Amino acid sequence: MKYELVAGFETHIELSTKTKIFCGCTTQFGGEPNTHCCPVCIGLPGTLPKLNRQAVRYAIMAGLATHGEIAEVSKMDRKNYCYPDLSKAYQISQLYAPLSIGGYVELSNGRKIRLHHIHIEEDAGKLIHQHGDTYVDYNRGGVPLIEIVSEPDIRSIDEAREYVEKLQQVMRYIGISDCKMQEGSMRCDVNISVRPEGSEKFGTRTEIKNMNSINNICKAMEYEYERQVDLIESGGEVVQETLRYDDATNTTSSMRSKEDAHDYRYFRDPDLVTINVTKQEVEEIRKSLPELPAEKCRRYVQELSLPEKDAQLLTKYRNISEYFDKAIDGVKSAKTVSNFIIGQIFSRLETEADKEIFDVAVSPEQLNELVKLLDSGKIRNNLAKATLEKMLDSGKGALEFISESDMGGLDENALLELCKQAVESNPKAVDDYKNGKEKAIKAMVGFVMKNSRGKADAAAAEQKIKELIS
Amino acid sequence: MVTREDVENIALLSKLFVPEEELDSLTQSMQEIINFADEINKAPASDEAFDNINNLSNVFREDEVVESYSSEEILRNAPEQAEKHFLVRNRE
Repeated sequence: MKYELVAGFETHIELSTKTKIFCGCTTQFGGEPNTHCCPVCIGLPGTLPKLNRQAVRYAIMAGLATHGEIAEVSKMDRKNYCYPDLSKAYQISQLYAPLSIGGYVELSNGRKIRLHHIHIEEDAGKLIHQHGDTYVDYNRGGVPLIEIVSEPDIRSIDEAREYVEKLQQVMRYIGISDCKMQEGSMRCDVNISVRPEGSEKFGTRTEIKNMNSINNICKAMEYEYERQVDLIESGGEVVQETLRYDDATNTTSSMRSKEDAHDYRYFRDPDLVTINVTKQEVEEIRKSLPELPAEKCRRYVQELSLPEKDAQLLTKYRNISEYFDKAIDGVKSAKTVSNFIIGQIFSRLETEADKEIFDVAVSPEQLNELVKLLDSGKIRNNLAKATLEKMLDSGKGALEFISESDMGGLDENALLELCKQAVESNPKAVDDYKNGKEKAIKAMVGFVMKNSRGKADAAAAEQKIKELIS
Repeated sequence: MVTREDVENIALLSKLFVPEEELDSLTQSMQEIINFADEINKAPASDEAFDNINNLSNVFREDEVVESYSSEEILRNAPEQAEKHFLVRNRE
């Protein structure tokens, strides 16, 4: 029997605010233990949390960027559990009235992964377990998070990978988080189950935690899918439990849960007042959002006639697309600009991180100038390519490398003169050509190109040479 | 109605150890607390009225960094500490 995978994601994303969600302590990563703390974020009695306006704004941006509906009224709740990473023995979160409801992430196969909601909450402290004891650092405690909860709409590992990549891309585009999985500023819990293909009923699910890269998420899901299928096929039953993924062994193992039952006894946090967001505020934030990658990609294909592949590469990171948008200003063909970026510029950016930062020696205005020289017929493609290399090496503009005499192409007489020279200085090629070796003509065209410093039109030169020797 | 099992469960969730012989008296005490709090239910008002009793909304702070405390101050009340961390001993 074939089994279908069913998965849903709970994704935690640390917001890039300067300060924590309920106090003015810095959110900077790292630092000496317990030095980014105050009485509020270590939960001393008698302190009063006060909500960070920017955290709410960022969460609204995340909701809008994923097509969610922003709640006009939302509230903070206490999630109670007793564990050393929570100084207060409760986490301030949202259960009954989250900030953003619904929405979706659209995949390249056209499927929409629906979102249940997005809520804001505080991060917990960091625990180091050593010799059976636990060392607690509350620097991270109180850093603002959003949790994006999807519906169980994911049906394959590929969809899971794309879902996480799309979320990461969108959140980085709107600038609310750096979404670094390795540093923990983006963390995913995956709920996964299997069911016989064609079945409508969901199987029993398990939850996998502790994966710090997209590759590990995929590997853990593959392992868990196989484990559940094997279990069912051998007559067993999947037990609902929380599993920890171990990337060293590529296996999942049962995790003793924080509570024996999920008995969080949520209730409204009496220290924090209601959050009201007006329609007007939502619209104002909506207008402030940059063009999102999916829309941008669609526009590049439809309006600029770029191939889908080009559009995807150019919109993968915001810095690339912004560079491209500036570089195509007033040019005849956006594809020419795309070719220069994806070809020559990308070849100098080795890693994904380099591409994301997109620190290029040539400014978009300089590339624009070069493309316009090409557009106007003043220079030819191979000269433009060679010039771009020199520009990338030096950071200087195109005109530093192209002299007046390089521009304007060659007039008829000059071209004819060069072709004559080519014929005279290549007697062997002339003979070869006359004896039926068609390719021999290329040697003479090459001579013309070289001696015209790339200005000659290769096709016109070939035509001229043929006339001369026939 | 508060049962012995409720008290046991709450003790478990709160990581508290309750000796067997105290369970009955604690169950009774908790029932009395619940009865007292239940008085509120008799008030002629909707749940919403209690939801936001101070009638405030949108109390925010700006995203501006305030100097944090030193780790010495933060750890001052810690029952145990080591290497600038709060230390939690495993009692099991």
